[in-house]
Amino acid sequence: MAPPADDVRGLFRQELRIQLLERRPKGKEAACFASLCFPNSISDSCRYCSVSAHDGGKQRGERQRVEGMDVPSPSSPWIWDKILEFVEFLRCPVLPVLAMLRFGCVASDLGGFILISMVVPLHTWVLISNFKLAYNMVRRPDGTFDRHLAEFLDRKVPANASPVNGVVSFDILINRASNLLARIYRPAPPNSSHPATPLAGLHHPPSPDQFPVIIFYHGGSFAHSSSNTAIYDSLCRRFVSLCGAVVISVDYRRSPEYRYPCAYDDGWEALKWASTEPWLHSGKDSKLRVFLCGDSSGGNIAHHVAVRAAESGIDVSGNILLNPMFGGNRRTDSEVRLDGKYFVTIQDRDWYWKAYLPEGADRDHPACNPFGPNGGTLKELPFTRSLVIVAGLDLVQDWQLAYVEGLKKAGKDVKLVYREQATIGFYLLPNTDHFYEVMEEIKNFVSSNL
Amino acid sequence: MKREHQEAAGGGDRRGGEGNWYVAAEQEKGKALMGTDDGVDELLAALGYKVRSSDMADVAQKLEQLEMAMGSSAAANDDALLAHLAFDTVHYNPSDLSNWVDNILSELNAPPPLPQPPPPPPPDDPLSLQFDLPPAVTEQYTIGTVDLPDGSPCKPADVDELQPEASTASSGWLISQSGHQPEVAMSLRDRKRLKVCSSPPSSTITADAATAAAAQQVVIVDSQEAGIRLVHALMACAEAVQKENLKAAGAIVKQISVLAASQGGAMRKVAGYFAEALARRIYRPQPPRGMGCSSTVESAALDDMLHHHFYESCPYLKFAHFTANQAILEAFAGFRRVHVVDFGMRQGLQWPALLQALALRQGGPPSFRLTGIGPPQPDNSDALQEVGWKLAQLAKTIRVDFRYRGFVAASLADLDPYMLLGPEADGGGVEDDEPEVVAVNSILELHRLLARPGALEKVLGTIRAVRPVIVTVVEQEANHNGRAFLDRFTEALHYYSTMFDSLEGGASPPAAVEVGGHDQAMAEIYLGRQIYNVVACEGAERTERHETLPQWRARMSRAGFDSVPIGSNAFKQASMLLALFSGGEGYRVEENDGCLTLGWHTRPLIATSAWRAAGDPLSTSASCRTASS
Repeated sequence: MAPPADDVRGLFRQELRIQLLERRPKGKEAACFASLCFPNSISDSCRYCSVSAHDGGKQRGERQRVEGMDVPSPSSPWIWDKILEFVEFLRCPVLPVLAMLRFGCVASDLGGFILISMVVPLHTWVLISNFKLAYNMVRRPDGTFDRHLAEFLDRKVPANASPVNGVVSFDILINRASNLLARIYRPAPPNSSHPATPLAGLHHPPSPDQFPVIIFYHGGSFAHSSSNTAIYDSLCRRFVSLCGAVVISVDYRRSPEYRYPCAYDDGWEALKWASTEPWLHSGKDSKLRVFLCGDSSGGNIAHHVAVRAAESGIDVSGNILLNPMFGGNRRTDSEVRLDGKYFVTIQDRDWYWKAYLPEGADRDHPACNPFGPNGGTLKELPFTRSLVIVAGLDLVQDWQLAYVEGLKKAGKDVKLVYREQATIGFYLLPNTDHFYEVMEEIKNFVSSNL
Repeated sequence: MKREHQEAAGGGDRRGGEGNWYVAAEQEKGKALMGTDDGVDELLAALGYKVRSSDMADVAQKLEQLEMAMGSSAAANDDALLAHLAFDTVHYNPSDLSNWVDNILSELNAPPPLPQPPPPPPPDDPLSLQFDLPPAVTEQYTIGTVDLPDGSPCKPADVDELQPEASTASSGWLISQSGHQPEVAMSLRDRKRLKVCSSPPSSTITADAATAAAAQQVVIVDSQEAGIRLVHALMACAEAVQKENLKAAGAIVKQISVLAASQGGAMRKVAGYFAEALARRIYRPQPPRGMGCSSTVESAALDDMLHHHFYESCPYLKFAHFTANQAILEAFAGFRRVHVVDFGMRQGLQWPALLQALALRQGGPPSFRLTGIGPPQPDNSDALQEVGWKLAQLAKTIRVDFRYRGFVAASLADLDPYMLLGPEADGGGVEDDEPEVVAVNSILELHRLLARPGALEKVLGTIRAVRPVIVTVVEQEANHNGRAFLDRFTEALHYYSTMFDSLEGGASPPAAVEVGGHDQAMAEIYLGRQIYNVVACEGAERTERHETLPQWRARMSRAGFDSVPIGSNAFKQASMLLALFSGGEGYRVEENDGCLTLGWHTRPLIATSAWRAAGDPLSTSASCRTASS
């Protein structure tokens, strides 16, 4: 008879702390400890002892068998029984025991080593937990926002016109009147090898052939981050290398200072700007081959800008929505099931919507719930095709899936990529299969719709 | 090997030999696994966070603790904890995740904050620009910008009229005139002056490898085609100069003026200054002394005047003073005898605000000594002393025990530690049971020393010798000291274009337009002289040798200084200060690894950093006091 899961967890954690204190592990071992001892920190492989649940057929079989027996979900007592068995068996050599401490983990013996399967790698866990902590501090319960502290804590990088891995960036004021800024990333112009002339060629097409232009809207639930935030700088650089694209990262106005529809207006402004820049047009037909892309709130913005583009006759080659932020009044299954489990809570989602939507509006406002009771239809519009990435451990997923359904119902072309074991922010760090496979999807989507 | 394992696991066959984005990512991943030489995790470093791989476990554990604490307080519907962390906690260097998390955790473990009555609000103060500060947290001081009593910088103050004037002028200030006035400690008799002549530097070599593959920061504010052509023409001209093809350079420089005329606003002005500097370089390879190449005796007064207009017309110097003062104030917390050595006294614009903050300090103001250093004046006038008198007058009014000394020195390298400290510092007197703590403040001064080999090293040695609790350094955030002329030129072109654009875009509010326009024109001349120096001067004459934060970090750490992070409190207040300039639109304060920068849009233009001698027990204890107060 296994003790209730929570008690077992408590016991193990206590044990773990003692071990940590007594043994004071260093270096790799310490990191391994950490990768193992934090909730939600579950990944496909332990980064530090470099063992993985995927190696070889035997292990794969093992894993499937385990999954066939029972879903190793966090609340499953099964896994805790299993852990107890292991503890008995191994007489508590620390590392393997710790390996078992992960809930949702799958373990098997590999020549004395334990294979670990965790969902969130340590790096991602540290990164996102850090954001969560910072965001909790700057978000006030009364709906106001500590912008100064948020800006202080946000890690930023300057534009860099000297090529780094073949990518240059520069900031440009695309609308002086509204002070709208964008950071442009592009393959280094051929003559930029001379560091002293970074401006030469910045405004020439990167290629005589057709190339994609990606307008990127950063995430941050409409309130956080900007176009010079380090995580997004890094992501945009990847998009350049990945797709041979020019990426325009838009520094849109954020809530709660600027509510709906400011972010959409700025996003739209950026698209209009791109459509008038000759150097962004390519191919024999000299056409702007533009994709709208964004994560979280940025995905939401991409959708709404694409709607305006369809209404105004600007041709958009495709939409790429990474964990887009949608919502609605009712509570969905995923919201209830995953509330507070993987970094995100319903409470904070509600806060951000309240901060962004017009005063007094509820979450069935079309900005939040585009296919909800107040949403319009896209049937008549030449709305572009979409690639929608959904993470299975993101509580917003039901709304994202509903969005995909809505597009389908309107007869629009949409491809859904559902990563069951991915969490929010998985695309920020190249440390999971989710990352590589999703990047591959994006690359194919862009190249096949150019 | 395990690593291969990992890559096989992460990759699989489908990715073999694909596009180079993947290879790059794989290399990244490999590096992250290996860790770098100093053990900093590269995956997170690429995203702006510095965590040693070996600390990762610790950081994760602490993050978890914090999360649990917050979760439980949220469950209890108790916002006090979050409010405490957001409002009352000063955050330092969030890049350094390990320390940042530690700091927050120690706040959590500290006894819960008692509700404290707000300190008495400063009375209606005609001298200070009031910021909309939150009802303040007690340990945190705030500094406003304060103008000297009469607002004009160079008016000599007469000794005779000083006393009676002071009491009337102070009526609106924070103290009433009671009988018990502390003496102004400075008197004509006591004041010491020392004229030092420049001596040839003793050491000769500075291995000045242009460190840091400095980022080329480009903000394009005017993307019009003619503007681009103008920039290209300027650069073509600079390239010709570098190749010593003066004939071609001369031809291009003439075109530049034509192109510039077609431009408006900032771009035209900037191009004008650069073209002029290029022309001087082309046609007069050996410009005579005093043409702005170095701040010679003749130009010192003019410099001061232009400097003052620069101060008035844009927030850069105010930001510099403000952030440096904040760092000094925090380092002085708890000390009863404090001493600031200012490497560039000029008109003393920085000090009224500090004086006022010290006057409002909890537990009463400390005894404050100021040593101001400035260049010799052309007419041998005693500008330094005049500034000192004004400050003394202010100090007296707000009842801060104040002593002042002015030092005239042609170069900071001529200073020796004993000159700065003087006899009092060693505790010779009876009243000195309390040690004097020293702060050294340098606003836009250190880069000049790079023109003379060994000078900076000597000055840093002098600083170490006076054992300061804090060294505040403000420098232009640019690399105008690269080896190749073209690099310097390009960097300067970007830097000053952005600077001029900010002057244009951040023009004073309508109320001050008449004055503002004049200030702006003079501020442009001030910057124009720097452009001239960077572009047209060489050798010891080229004194505007601005370098970037990473370069200064490397220099300071080589000289045995540790960085002292400037916290979120200073950041917040500096951001508020900016609201005074065109609503803050365009200007941005940013935190950069413990330092604060102020920039225009995303281009940082000026940076404040704070330092202390590595391993100095006094400094360390001071920092502990600050942290625990």
